[in-house]
Amino acid sequence: MGAAAYILTPIIGLIVGIFFMGLFRIMMARIHWRYGPPLTQPIIDIIKLLFQKSVSHGIIFELGLFFSLAGSVVTLYFVPIGNICPLKISGGLLVVLYLMLIAPMGIALSGGGGANPNISIGISRKMLLALSYEVPFLLIILTLMVHYRTISLVDLVNFQRTSGWAIISLPIAGIAYLLILPAMLGIRPFEIAEAPQEIASGLKVEYSGKLLALYYIEHAFRRFLVIALFVNLFLGGAGEPFTFLLKMLIVFVLGVFVNAVFPRFRIEQAIRFNWTWPTILALAGLIITYMWGGHG
Amino acid sequence: MFYPDMIFNNLMIVAIGGAFLTYILGKITPDLRNAFAVLVSLLLMVMVASLYGLEKELVYFGFFDYPLIFKINALSWLFAISITVLSTLSILFSLNYMKDKSKLDLYYMMMLLINASMLGIVLSGDLISFYVFWEIMSWSIFILISYERGSALAAGLKYIIISLVGSLCMLVGIIAIFSHYNTFNISQIAAFMTSAPSGLTIFVLIMFCIGFGIKNGLMPLHVWVPSAYSESPSPFTAVLSGMLAKMGTFGFLMLFYIMIGWRVFFYLGQGIFSFHYILCIIAAITIVIPNFIAVLQDDAKKLLAWSSIGQCGYIILGIVYGTSMGLAGGVFHFFNHAIFKAMLFLAVGAVEFRTNGVRDLNSLGGLANKMPLTFIATLIGACGLIGIPLTNGFVSKWLIYKTLILNGSPVLAFAALLGTWGSFLAIYKLLHNIFLGQISETHRNVKNAPFSMQLPMLILGVLTIVFGVLPGLPLNIINRIGVSLGFESLDITLWGIVSETGTLNTINIFAAIVALLFLVYILFRTGTKSTLVSQDNSYAAGSYIPEGKYHYTVDFYNPFLRMVKPWLKDSIDQFYMQIAKTSEKVAELIRRIYTGDVGYYVIYIMLFLAVLICIQFIWMPW
Repeated sequence: MGAAAYILTPIIGLIVGIFFMGLFRIMMARIHWRYGPPLTQPIIDIIKLLFQKSVSHGIIFELGLFFSLAGSVVTLYFVPIGNICPLKISGGLLVVLYLMLIAPMGIALSGGGGANPNISIGISRKMLLALSYEVPFLLIILTLMVHYRTISLVDLVNFQRTSGWAIISLPIAGIAYLLILPAMLGIRPFEIAEAPQEIASGLKVEYSGKLLALYYIEHAFRRFLVIALFVNLFLGGAGEPFTFLLKMLIVFVLGVFVNAVFPRFRIEQAIRFNWTWPTILALAGLIITYMWGGHG
Repeated sequence: MFYPDMIFNNLMIVAIGGAFLTYILGKITPDLRNAFAVLVSLLLMVMVASLYGLEKELVYFGFFDYPLIFKINALSWLFAISITVLSTLSILFSLNYMKDKSKLDLYYMMMLLINASMLGIVLSGDLISFYVFWEIMSWSIFILISYERGSALAAGLKYIIISLVGSLCMLVGIIAIFSHYNTFNISQIAAFMTSAPSGLTIFVLIMFCIGFGIKNGLMPLHVWVPSAYSESPSPFTAVLSGMLAKMGTFGFLMLFYIMIGWRVFFYLGQGIFSFHYILCIIAAITIVIPNFIAVLQDDAKKLLAWSSIGQCGYIILGIVYGTSMGLAGGVFHFFNHAIFKAMLFLAVGAVEFRTNGVRDLNSLGGLANKMPLTFIATLIGACGLIGIPLTNGFVSKWLIYKTLILNGSPVLAFAALLGTWGSFLAIYKLLHNIFLGQISETHRNVKNAPFSMQLPMLILGVLTIVFGVLPGLPLNIINRIGVSLGFESLDITLWGIVSETGTLNTINIFAAIVALLFLVYILFRTGTKSTLVSQDNSYAAGSYIPEGKYHYTVDFYNPFLRMVKPWLKDSIDQFYMQIAKTSEKVAELIRRIYTGDVGYYVIYIMLFLAVLICIQFIWMPW
């Protein structure tokens, strides 16, 4: 593997992420009894946008976006895709937790470069939403790390491959994770930060041309990252990329179904939801694991 | 040719003498005083730096039979170098910041005196010197907190009253030790304490912990911090938050690992009721609650003050948890916090300086283009505070989390991780409300901060990144401290930590981010160039955006605040204020007794005698 993995990982992430975007649109259309765009539409959009005229609000506006894109890709280096994982010995899951902060922070900085009130509302909602799902998420991650006595993501995957998937051995934490997954993906009912009908897509309202293309690419990476993390943490990862991507596809399709049938929460409702059921379940899972003692 | 011994012998003379000489020179000419103050602090920095690796004891004064001792080792050196660097930078920053203020002779003298007293604390080898320097420090802090009078005086009074309680507790602890072992020498006490009765040990621990906890702002003892930090002059606040509060940390280290010894310290009590576990829980509470109270603040310095209290929680948690990794993480976090929090306070000070003292986050905004370097400093400081990889704050937090998780303390780890989110929201609010969004009309002509203010921020910013990418530089020294305190040695490389249970390697994270940023930039440069438009030229999806400044960053986290505000009241402060009010009332009642009429006093004496006689008749105790 070696150096090739550094190039392969972002390529897989980009292709799969953009494929998911196309799949998302077409599946939503079919559920709504529409015909929908072709699967390749996002690729066409991004290429078109890269060559369109764009408008910028200055250097912070652009730099923030660069940081968030670089942050998302770097995070991907720590998440094994099957057996491809370029940075597996560099600090494990704790680094992933913190690297995942770079992307929202970059987008928020970029948004601060503009003066559109919709962006500001978007930033505020995105931060709060992140805080709300991060509480159960941290509990779940701690459950895993305490259960398997490791902070390395690769080790977590390896343990699961010998002793069964974590969603079976730690079902309560797994259910809690499933409940917050839509919020982490930013799909309905947690589409609060973007909410096209309310705040004109919030964070991305001022992007145009190449900047919008970069935002879409970042979004594709981010979606890929969140699902890949779930597959690694609870569905046992995989020995090679193909099975791994198949697992990701299944999780994603489930997500699209959820997105299709739910209306959007208000931000308070979202916080309240994330701090009740998922948190209670995650806490219960952690306590049970803690009482039972670690695994290996 | 260096003579470390000679330098060490003269260090305190230079420090104290320099402080007083600055005051005298100020009476001659202000320029000379400023130059001299910078020179003295620089000289001290160089002197301390040249003492690297020295281990020495020096008896400087025979106080009856109890010699007063200075001694230096790895731990004192790390604290001493941080003190001198930070005070040099803050004095440099003061040159412009304090320019138009009055009583500058006193200000500079006090800054240098604080510097000297902190050096005295970390270098003292006996409890008398320790206590004397501790008191000099406490009183000098009072003078500088209330430097600007008005509300600052109230903040200073609050500080000094609480601080006195702490000092007295410490004094009681010192006396308790002295009455048992008849010595003040710390290394002798350490030898005695290994076999001390556990009652004495616990008493001494509690007394000292109150004293150090107050300085450090540990949770139930933190009440002086917010007002003191927000009212004092910014360059001093940087030192106050960066180093002075950390004297409590030094005290804890000395108390737990030198004076009492970790073998005794960890085995006081059982399970959750053991002394060190209770301290861990206090530290965890100190992480979570203040970091979220910081989110509620609208005053830039108050926000940073609350966040400082929260970060101290990490330091104490790491130190008290008592694994070699936790200790390294705690000490490293102290070091890092001194760097980035000082930088944040200086940056806020620079903004305050250029906007004529505006600290209210709701009336600032859009200053990033006017003060780019200050913005970058704040951004780096914010990343350090959150603990984003490639800043020093990340490495220290990583160490703390790792040891908490792998040693099976998920509750503490959860508190620590959750605190990060509090600091993320709080510091982003600071960043956004000062530097991003719209600029207000009154600040259109704000200029960049002067060079003498930018330089300290620049140095601290570079240090934050360098120690984040190459954490091995400070960690090597910290590892030596850990070993000298009796912990296992960690396997430290220049860019991380090697261990069986998870290796950290910052250099390849760094390489990956730099390469990717470059790639994204290249990707961005291809295609058409984007047109620059003004900030107000926004797309609003057909709605109307009002002209002028519509400050949408006011109440940034309102939906959240509506939910949590009832839970985040500073009820501890109210509790102390209630105590203060009650004691005032009691004092008022007592005062009524003293009417000033001799007749009453005679009656009192008669009554007292009557009571005594009654007691004698009934119980016959005499």
